[in-house]
Amino acid sequence: MQDQLAALLAKAAAELPALATRPDFEAAKARFVGPNGELTALMKQMGTVPKEQKPAVGKLINEAKTTLQSHLDAALSRLEAAELAARLGPAIDPTLPSPDRAPGTFHPLTLVREEMTRILRKVGFTVVEGPEVETEYYCFDALNTPADHPARDAQDTFYLPASARFGNVSKKTPGERYLLRTHTSSVQIRTMLKGKPPIRIVSPGRVYRRDTTDATHSANFHQLECLYVDKNVTVRDLKALLDYIFASLLGKETKTRFRPHYFGYTEPSFEVDLSATHLPKVNKPWIEIGGCGMVDPVVFQDVGYDPEIWSGYAFGMGLERLAMLLYGIDDIRYFYQNDVRFLRQFA
Amino acid sequence: MKLSRSWLQDYVDLSEVTADDISRAITFLGFEVEQVVHTGAPHFELVVAGRILTREKHPNADKLSVCTVDVGPAHGGVRTIVCGAPNCDAGNHVPVALPGAVLPGDFVIKEAKVRGQASSGMMCSAKELTLADDAQGLLLLNGEPAPGTPLNALLPPGDVVFDIEITPNRPDALSHLGVARELAAWFGKELRYPAVSFTPAAISSDPRPDLLASVRILAETDCPLYTATVVTGVKIGPSPDWLQRRLAAVGLRPINNVVDAGNYVMLEYGQPVHAFDAARLAGAEIIVRPAAEGEKITTLDGKERALAAGLLVIADAQKPVVVAGVMGSAEAGVSATTTDLVLEVACFRRQAVRAASKRLGLASDSSYRYERGVDAHSLDEAAHRFIDLILAHAGGAIAGPIHRVGGFAPWEREITVTPAFINEKLGFEIPAEKMRAALESLELVVTREEPTEARGPAWTFSIPSWRDDLDRPIDLVEEVVRLHGTEKIPSSVITAPGLVGDDDPIVWFNRRVAAALVGQGFHECVNYTLRPAAEVAAWTPPAQVAALALANPFVEDQSHLRSSLIGGLLESLRLNQSRGVAASRLFETGRVFLERDGQLSECVAAAFVLAEETGERSWRPREAADFYTAKRHAATLAALAGIELERQPTALVAAPAPGWQTGHAATAGDIRHGWTSTFGLVDLAHLKALGITGKVYAGFFAIVSEKVTADSDRRGYKPFSLQPAALRDLALVVPAATPAVEVQKAVAKHARAATGPTFALESVELFDLYTGKGVPENHKSLAYALTFRASDRTLTDDEVNTAFTKVQADLTAAGFQIRK
Repeated sequence: MQDQLAALLAKAAAELPALATRPDFEAAKARFVGPNGELTALMKQMGTVPKEQKPAVGKLINEAKTTLQSHLDAALSRLEAAELAARLGPAIDPTLPSPDRAPGTFHPLTLVREEMTRILRKVGFTVVEGPEVETEYYCFDALNTPADHPARDAQDTFYLPASARFGNVSKKTPGERYLLRTHTSSVQIRTMLKGKPPIRIVSPGRVYRRDTTDATHSANFHQLECLYVDKNVTVRDLKALLDYIFASLLGKETKTRFRPHYFGYTEPSFEVDLSATHLPKVNKPWIEIGGCGMVDPVVFQDVGYDPEIWSGYAFGMGLERLAMLLYGIDDIRYFYQNDVRFLRQFA
Repeated sequence: MKLSRSWLQDYVDLSEVTADDISRAITFLGFEVEQVVHTGAPHFELVVAGRILTREKHPNADKLSVCTVDVGPAHGGVRTIVCGAPNCDAGNHVPVALPGAVLPGDFVIKEAKVRGQASSGMMCSAKELTLADDAQGLLLLNGEPAPGTPLNALLPPGDVVFDIEITPNRPDALSHLGVARELAAWFGKELRYPAVSFTPAAISSDPRPDLLASVRILAETDCPLYTATVVTGVKIGPSPDWLQRRLAAVGLRPINNVVDAGNYVMLEYGQPVHAFDAARLAGAEIIVRPAAEGEKITTLDGKERALAAGLLVIADAQKPVVVAGVMGSAEAGVSATTTDLVLEVACFRRQAVRAASKRLGLASDSSYRYERGVDAHSLDEAAHRFIDLILAHAGGAIAGPIHRVGGFAPWEREITVTPAFINEKLGFEIPAEKMRAALESLELVVTREEPTEARGPAWTFSIPSWRDDLDRPIDLVEEVVRLHGTEKIPSSVITAPGLVGDDDPIVWFNRRVAAALVGQGFHECVNYTLRPAAEVAAWTPPAQVAALALANPFVEDQSHLRSSLIGGLLESLRLNQSRGVAASRLFETGRVFLERDGQLSECVAAAFVLAEETGERSWRPREAADFYTAKRHAATLAALAGIELERQPTALVAAPAPGWQTGHAATAGDIRHGWTSTFGLVDLAHLKALGITGKVYAGFFAIVSEKVTADSDRRGYKPFSLQPAALRDLALVVPAATPAVEVQKAVAKHARAATGPTFALESVELFDLYTGKGVPENHKSLAYALTFRASDRTLTDDEVNTAFTKVQADLTAAGFQIRK
């Protein structure tokens, strides 16, 4: 019996590691430990073993059974591992590119607008929106631009036909025409009429000019305008805002300066120059970047604010111009062509 | 406007100031300097006229000569100078740069030895003096100038021309005198007015009623004041050189001594003037009147123009001779044979000049100034100056008194301001005396000074007539800060008192759309709002296209407001394809204009396009996009505006919708109720016409701008069951045309009804759509997974089976065929 058991174990140790497939394994398992298996057959001989030898033989059989089972387990896990490996295939090449779609990109004008509004948010300016189709009152009259002002010419401003009717752009006076806003300052008027001071808003948006499109002009472009109305707002506060904005945007070495200018809706009015020679493609000591000034008392009167109590400033600039400066882009038309090779560069 | 430095010098002494500093001053006075041009010879120090006395060959050099040159007693008399020029012959008068002179290019002249021969200066060519680009030999001076005469005295004087932009509020600066006044204030210099010698009292000769008997104004509003002066016996000829040079420097072609005088006065005072040939005026009366419809005038530029009724003209007895303030007629103008003149200096209402200029499409230096505002109270002074110049340069005599018709009350304006007010507006301190000096330098005169209780002195300034833009105390703040120097406005740390607010909901909508779609691989685009009519027609119901047209488009392909963003995105897709750039997913957010109940509404919109083929080749292809891809992204857009698209009635897009492929695009919502969404396949013929290859899906969402709202309130928490679920699958065979959503609704309705009070249907999900073997023709099989769950226990098979059997029975009873 002992010899038979040893022979059986030796056979199992030799055969099991060589098994390649699960059916082979199952067949081998049946051959050794199945109901008609060889171990089972040996165990059946227990009845013929003399009584006094039974404990010793029983022990031998149990040991053989345990050993055999461990051979089987080993063989099974080896097969399982092989099966898993077969299912996974060969090791991946981690250097292959992912065939899945990469994220898209934000338009550079969005990036610049968001950066500006984020900077302004930190000092309390919230973003407001206004209609792009405006009326003469909001775009001109309320901003102290008289009816015979050249900016209102059909030569410079897009108008809608007299028959045009808009359900959600309110007219102040029945006779006034609809037009495409020439600046975002109209949003100032709507905001002031709707709310009460103090006010601190930024209004980015599309504006329209009847202009020939070339490398620096576009029939529609984007502006960003800030308005602050409170008590005791001064020219010095306005300068502090501009210094803050451009130091935040372009770095501490950036300087701003004011030059006197004229806008109908601010008094005094200034143009803002920027010194940012560290930027790419900036080869002038000062670059004009926007216009600003103290809100003219006439504008306050028109929206029903007492100019003896309230004061404020406004600042406006072109977003394309800023983006061109920031990124070193030399043609405004690229913003409107949407060549993906252009769009991918900014995200 | 162009300004001549030498001309400005007449009114303010800037001889010690560099052109750069003048340019800078103009800039910080508030006038943009567009260009600075230096003309004529530079200023030469120690370069004088010399006369060559002798010439001998240099002993040590073949090509050099040794000359003795007389440079005048002040410069040492006769000097010996070595020269290499071929024309340094005795008797020639040439420029000599003396030791110490610095020639252009920082070339310093010294006492020197040239090949062993002492040389005391240098004789110069035109090129060495930068007077010409090229030169053969020495510059020979004509007229035998006395040795020692400074070279500059022999050359036409140089000048610096500043081309500057005058802001519309400052018509007073549209003249040399006006800008000189500003510069005088800036540099703290005195302003010197032109010396006008004419006085009306000095007129001695008799009137000539045969030439001009009277002036009649039939349009007093448009012409409040008209003056006309008769000058007889003038001799037309060229103006003096200095005057011609000044006009030429600022871009005006000198014509003759009369026309030039008029232009000179305009550029000096800013007051346009006009001269008629008296002989060519019909009758003896000048009439200022509105034109009659169809009257004709041939203006000085040689064009015949038909006048519209009401345009202001100056007319003689028969015809218009000037479009008032704009341009005179060629016929009545001054010519070489003119001997008698009528000089017009008048005040026209700016709107009248502007209307005429605009109507005729004709602008002039005169109309430009009238439109912006000419100081009527300086009119007489300019008129007198005009007469002075005519008499001085063209001769003649004034015949009779000046005809002066109309007039207005004397100019009077005062503004009272305190230094405290100015400092409060500025936010920094400027000493009161400096403020006062600044304002006085602009000829604002303190007429009263009164102490106030707490705010220092209150100054009352009288405002000069040419500063109509100064009307309120705040206007004086600007004058003070301007002359103080805007560069000196101090920097400070921004203060931001807390103001609580949030960005507009529209801003948040756009941001969320961009974030969501960028995350899905879309590139954000920006397209023009103005689109060509043909494109708008593809995305707008035909009856609504006309309403989107502009009254005055600038170019044909930007004639209409957009009603959709898809047209622009397809154009971007086409551009990328044509450039061989892979672009399959693009989106845009922005305003569109949609018709609601017969009116346009400005709407907030977002749209995307996605090409079925990405255009990118890949080593492992992914599944191509289809209608349902578009539907998913369309649902995202709607969801970001708070609308659950899946719960909204959705139908195929109804014709006519030329942009969409019939049967492959769907729409939900209705802009009349506030929002609309359309998504699906772009019409294949339209794509082909655009030149786009492959299928393109698109989605569009628009919402009326005022309906974009801030985030809704937080939703409450609903408890959910932790018990196991029971699943049952159910397939129904329905006619192919039955919308899936109807079947799903029926299944959900009956499943919900079939469960008892103690458990519930949790979800119904479509997991298979099948046609083919086993399903009758023109039918389809829809298979749903039903999930049941109780809140408090594990469901038993029995109770689920009972419910499921009832669901099937009820559906069968409702006319559905269960697929076994």
